[in-house]
Amino acid sequence: MGRVPTSNETAGSAIVYAGRFADRVAEAGLPGGYAVLSEWEVLPAKLVADIEGATALVVLDPFSFPFEIMTGEQWGVPLIVVLPAGFDVEFLIAVFGEVVFGRLTLFDRVATADKGTWEVLRRRYGWAGSQRVALESDAPDDAAAEIGALLEAENATPAPLVDGAPRGAGPEKAIHLAEKAVLEPQFADAWGDRADDVAFDVLEVGAGTGRWAASFDLARTRFFGVDIDGNLVAAARANVLGASFERLGPDLILPYQNESFDLVFSVTVMHHHPTPAKKTLLSEMWRVARPGGRLLFLEEFVSGRSEEAVYPMSVNVFVALLLEATNEQVVLEHMESLRYPREDLTRGGVIAVSRLGVPEKW
Amino acid sequence: MSEDDFYTPTDIDMLRMENELLAFEVRFLKTRLGRSGRGLGISTPLSRISYLAEAKGDLVLLLRRLGSSPLGPVFRLSREYRVLENRYLYSPEPQGPPNSPYQISHLQGAERDLVLLLRRLGRPPLNLIFGRRRSFRTLQDRYLSEEDGTSSNEQRNGR
Repeated sequence: MGRVPTSNETAGSAIVYAGRFADRVAEAGLPGGYAVLSEWEVLPAKLVADIEGATALVVLDPFSFPFEIMTGEQWGVPLIVVLPAGFDVEFLIAVFGEVVFGRLTLFDRVATADKGTWEVLRRRYGWAGSQRVALESDAPDDAAAEIGALLEAENATPAPLVDGAPRGAGPEKAIHLAEKAVLEPQFADAWGDRADDVAFDVLEVGAGTGRWAASFDLARTRFFGVDIDGNLVAAARANVLGASFERLGPDLILPYQNESFDLVFSVTVMHHHPTPAKKTLLSEMWRVARPGGRLLFLEEFVSGRSEEAVYPMSVNVFVALLLEATNEQVVLEHMESLRYPREDLTRGGVIAVSRLGVPEKW
Repeated sequence: MSEDDFYTPTDIDMLRMENELLAFEVRFLKTRLGRSGRGLGISTPLSRISYLAEAKGDLVLLLRRLGSSPLGPVFRLSREYRVLENRYLYSPEPQGPPNSPYQISHLQGAERDLVLLLRRLGRPPLNLIFGRRRSFRTLQDRYLSEEDGTSSNEQRNGR
C-alpha cells in the first residue's frame, strides 16, 4: 500500500496516483521516491492541496481518479495520464473525452503502449507528437517505473521542449492556461461569423513548438507559423499535424504574399527584440494581414517575467510603435490586461487591432 | 540609455509600466462603453422608440380607415385632415436608422397628431359614430386614457 504524502513532501515534486494499482506500484518501487497515492487516499481537500504544490501529476489509474475535484489551479500542474489498456478508443473517448482529453495542453502527456489508440486520439484532440510517452508495457507497475525514470531523467537535464520552458515546469503550464483564457475568445472573435466552408488563414509569428495551433480547428483553419529558431520549427513540424511552419530569416521578412491572412498574432515575442526589429515585425505582420483582418498581440508590457534577456516596452511605447509601423492603418478592437498566476504585478496585455484599407485584389 | 539597449527595469520602472497598462485598459473600456451607448441610442430608450413607431402605425391605419369610409370626402374638406393624409399616407418615409434624431422627431410628431385626431373624433357629433366602434375605443384607451397625458400603453413601455 502506498503512503499518503504531506503537502510539504509533494511541494516541488511529482505525485503519482496509482489508485487500484497502488500495491503493485509500491512493491515495484519508483525511482526518485515519488509519493504514491491509492484510491483510498485521495480525500479531495488534501489531494487538491498536494496537487497545487506538485511539479507534475501522474495518473496511473484514470478510472478511479477524481478528476471532478480539479479546478483551474490544479489543471495548472502538468499531467501525465496513462491510458487504460484493453479498451476500445471510442469507449475511452466517451469516458475521458470531455473530462480529460479535451483539456490537455502541450504541457501534458499521454502514456500508452498502443500506438493505434494514440494516433486516433492525437488526431481527434490535436495533440502534439511530443505529448506521447511511448510505454514498453501496459502493466501499471511497469508504466510507473518507466514514467518515474523519465521524470528523473528530465529533472537531471531539463529539456526545453515547450517554447523554452522545461518539461515539468508547473508554473509555465499555469501561465499557458492564463494566456489561453484571454487569447481563445480573441481567436473566436477573429473567426467571426464566417461560413464553415470559407478558409480561415492564420499566421503565428514566433510560433515556437506550435502550442497555439491546438487552439484552432485545423480542419477548417490553414495555420502557418514562423520562428527564428530552426530547432523550434523542426519541433513544431513534428508536433502539429495539418499546419505549416517556416523558419524566419534574420531580416525578419515574413515569407508570405501581401494580404494573405485573416489573423496574424504573436504571443510574448516582441520583448525579445530591440525596437528596430519590433518595428520590422509589426510592419510585416500588417503587410500580410488582409484588410479587415485581425492583428493580435499578447505581450508583456511590464518587463520580462524571467531572467532571460528582454527589451522592455510599456504599452504606450508599443502602441506608438504599432501606429508608426502600420502608418496608422489599424483600429483598436480589444485591449485586456493579464495577471499571471503567482504574480504580484499585472504584466501581460492583449491588444487586438483590425487592419484598415482596401484589398489589393478583389 | 537608448531604449534599444537591454536593461533590467527597476521597481519604479515596473510600477510605471503597470500603471500605463492599466490606464490604457481603462481608456479602452471607457471608449467602448461610450461607443456602444451611442450605438443603442442611449438618449432615447428603445422601448420609447418602439412605442412611437406603434403610434405612427395606428395613425396610418386610422387615416386609411377614415379616408375609405363614406365620410372620407367630408373629412377631406378639412385642411388639417388633408395635411395629415399628405404627411403620413402620401409622403415618402424618412430615411435613416430608427434611433436617429430625425426619425425620432418624425415619430413624436405622429404621436402628437394621433392624439389630436382622436380627441377631435371623440367630440360631438363625430363621437356618436366612432364611439360605437370597439377599435376606436381601443385607440382612445391606448392614447387618451390618462388624464395626465401619459397613456397606459406608454407606461407599459417603460416611459
